[in-house]
Amino acid sequence: MTSQQQLQHLYWRAGFGPRPEDIAAGLSPNKALRQLLRDAEKCEPIDSPVFHYADPLGAVMAVQPAAPAPNLAAMRPAPASTPGELSPLVPRSAPAPARKLSAPVLRRRDLTPEQRKQQNEGIRDAFVAMSTAWMDRMATGPGQLREKMALFWHGHFACRTRRPDDSLALLNTIRAHALGKFPDLLLAVSREPAMLQFLNNQQNRKEHPNENFAREVMELFTLGRGNYAETDVKEAARAFTGWSYDGDNNFVFRARQHDDGPKTFLGHSGNLGGEDVLTIIMQQPAAATFLVTKMYRFFVNDVPNPAHIEPLAAAFRKSHYNIADLAERLFSADWFYDSANVGARIKSPVELIAGLRRTLNLQIDNAKPLLGYQKALGQTLFMPPNVAGWPGGRNWIDSSSLLLRLQLPAILFKNAEFAVRLKDDENDITPQTTGKERTVRNTAGAHLPLAPLQQLLGSTPAAGRPGQLAQFLLQAPIRPENLALVQQAADKAATPEEQLRATLISLLSLPEYQLS
Amino acid sequence: MQRRRFLQSSALASTLLLVPKFLHALDRPETGLAAMLRDAPGGKARRLIVVQLSGGNDGLNTVIPYRNELYFKARPSLALKEAEGILPLSEDLGLHPKMTGLKGLYDQGQLAVLNAVGYPNPDRSHFRSMDIWQTGSGSEQLLTTGWLGRYLDSSCAGCALPYQALEVDDTLSLALKGQFRKGLAVKTPGKFHQLTQSRYLSRLSQEKPAATATSELDYLYKTLAETASSAEYLYDKSKVHASTATYPNTDLGRNLKTTAELISSGVESRVYYLAISGFDTHVRQHEQQGRLLGELSDGLAALAADLQKSNEWENTLVMVFSEFGRRVTQNASNGTDHGTANNVFLLSGALRKPGLLNAPASLADLDQGDLRYQVDFRSLYASILTDWLGADDKLVLGPGIERLAGLV
Repeated sequence: MTSQQQLQHLYWRAGFGPRPEDIAAGLSPNKALRQLLRDAEKCEPIDSPVFHYADPLGAVMAVQPAAPAPNLAAMRPAPASTPGELSPLVPRSAPAPARKLSAPVLRRRDLTPEQRKQQNEGIRDAFVAMSTAWMDRMATGPGQLREKMALFWHGHFACRTRRPDDSLALLNTIRAHALGKFPDLLLAVSREPAMLQFLNNQQNRKEHPNENFAREVMELFTLGRGNYAETDVKEAARAFTGWSYDGDNNFVFRARQHDDGPKTFLGHSGNLGGEDVLTIIMQQPAAATFLVTKMYRFFVNDVPNPAHIEPLAAAFRKSHYNIADLAERLFSADWFYDSANVGARIKSPVELIAGLRRTLNLQIDNAKPLLGYQKALGQTLFMPPNVAGWPGGRNWIDSSSLLLRLQLPAILFKNAEFAVRLKDDENDITPQTTGKERTVRNTAGAHLPLAPLQQLLGSTPAAGRPGQLAQFLLQAPIRPENLALVQQAADKAATPEEQLRATLISLLSLPEYQLS
Repeated sequence: MQRRRFLQSSALASTLLLVPKFLHALDRPETGLAAMLRDAPGGKARRLIVVQLSGGNDGLNTVIPYRNELYFKARPSLALKEAEGILPLSEDLGLHPKMTGLKGLYDQGQLAVLNAVGYPNPDRSHFRSMDIWQTGSGSEQLLTTGWLGRYLDSSCAGCALPYQALEVDDTLSLALKGQFRKGLAVKTPGKFHQLTQSRYLSRLSQEKPAATATSELDYLYKTLAETASSAEYLYDKSKVHASTATYPNTDLGRNLKTTAELISSGVESRVYYLAISGFDTHVRQHEQQGRLLGELSDGLAALAADLQKSNEWENTLVMVFSEFGRRVTQNASNGTDHGTANNVFLLSGALRKPGLLNAPASLADLDQGDLRYQVDFRSLYASILTDWLGADDKLVLGPGIERLAGLV
């Protein structure tokens, strides 16, 4: 494997693909990795006034939607909280939108139908704006490794809410800790209102424990099944009683709802609190293996290799779960560059679209249709299918998603008409959309600058260009018959510029381009 | 989102207890004729059409307990009265006035109504509850494959092409995605065919995956080749029969027509999946729901008549479901909020047990304002899988799901 191929592999896996200038710079993979780590050190929160929509009743976002909650505990009115009972812990990691504290507490059911509709659309537009902003960071931002790692954690700590500000706060917490110590990330996520609400910890009270949060923390976030018993779930749920958030979305520990009796969890006994439970979890050797396996499947190969994973897991534990250290080890391991691991992953829709934009320096007039196609391909940021996240791999591919993937570059670069009707499955946010409203049309207005690619090609003669571009764009070796097809398409074009565009579109429309 | 896990045994026990008695009574060995019909050659195998009502249809204003005081008490301005044209099915229950088409099928013994279908610990999120219905999971389980996709996995290992299960839409629902086999989303055979017809794509689709076909790239080429040949097959076949029947001029109407044309043309698909959305009637429910139910009912009646003409109605079972029903008490906006158990319609020219299959959910004994389910939807799935499609429901839904004997 050439050094260029190794470099491209690194940029695809540790980020969202190489740009022509990354290849031109010609760093060794080792130097490039150190650069990626340095560029990822800084973390700017994602925020913008457009995320904070004007709610019809101002304070309404600060209380729970009135839709009935699914269990018994939820049906009881929350006991009126007294100021003394609330003990705010860490401040929110992201700036929360300003709220009038004195505003009357109104509930969603108090809204008129028109106000409800306005609220729904505000929520939807805020999520669109947040997705756009994050996709922009992935496609153009310098902190590639941080965004890629954040995307991994976004699927790992999968969470769906109806509240853009909660989802944004969770994302920024994840981004802030993405390369830090995992126990810090875990604790911060566990205190996010989005997660506490999604996993029903608001309803986890001394008298009526709700095990949802405690269970998922172990099953999906840290240990995996088989590494704890049902009694551990029950005891952990007791330890997390009282972990809650207030009307201003600050984490609070409600001492009155907390069960402070003795508990036994994974062999440790005492008057355990939620922090103790998290600490004990992180003492289990299974945690490192579980986490590293999941990362390996995301960053290296869908088929885990224990011989690669175990040494990494041991080092991860030893480093007190330093994620940046783990990333450095993983991306510099010999086996990372094994040909079996290159071009062996099916790109997620986010990786596909952010990658198209990044590697080609694509300029987009309107990002919304791209988000629409991305949803048609099965991935909407902030909207994972459930708490287990996106299953990934071959799950992305069916006949219709594959056809759309293969035609997307041509649709964008030829500014072609292409309508896809999305399903009505996000009606937890905007109910009652018409088929017309759900139809995505190509109004992206994509501009493809050719100069960086022409520079990359340099003085390569026409006959060698398809092969050279294939090396830049494809991580799987191109089949000889496909190279001939690409060449034929280029031969039909009249000018060198058109030849280049035709070559690009042909290459990007290959199944090979779906792999990274 | 709520996700409590219950012991498999308790789920089993509750299913057993709640299976309506008459269904037990109907349990009898299948006749030889039915077995022959199921496995009959020549494209006459039984098929299933699933119609999904997205948004949570209000079952109480669909199959209406029009003589129940509690119904009128809970819905002062939303209850429908007999005089408004309710179409009586029995002394106590009647169809929404707009559902004359389904009433006609009911009178001919081609409609069955299963009341109070749901699952334990109901989830009131549209997305999650639809996920539960599409994957066939419990509310405490997370599955990444759909129940009809697993049907393909279990029964279709040797099937060459994905057109065994078709969804009439641009994108494919989770319901039709299995681990190894997936259905096909086809809005119309023409549009689907056109998508595969660019010269470049059709060249690519003719490339053969490597003989070992284990890599991700091979998988992509294999999927592409199957897609192209399915498109070819459906396009060619669909030219055989053009329906002249009149369907509602709506998206669902057109999709039902496409379905009838494919079936009448002899397409060998076993499963068709269609959806109609707009049932999330929090506000001003009457007009919206009436329009949708009329469209559904007219469309299904047209489909039944169409398939009768081509002698396919007896081999076809239609199941109509929604992700949840709505709360018993109306809200302040002349609408209803998210609820729980709901009715499911079954339609066919060969129903073993037409009519009302069980008593409606009690309006007196509510679970915090919501209807209690009597029949687990997975029991319905199990019956359809084994007794209608001839599959093994255990392979699709796992053990412990009791079939509703004698249902289909």
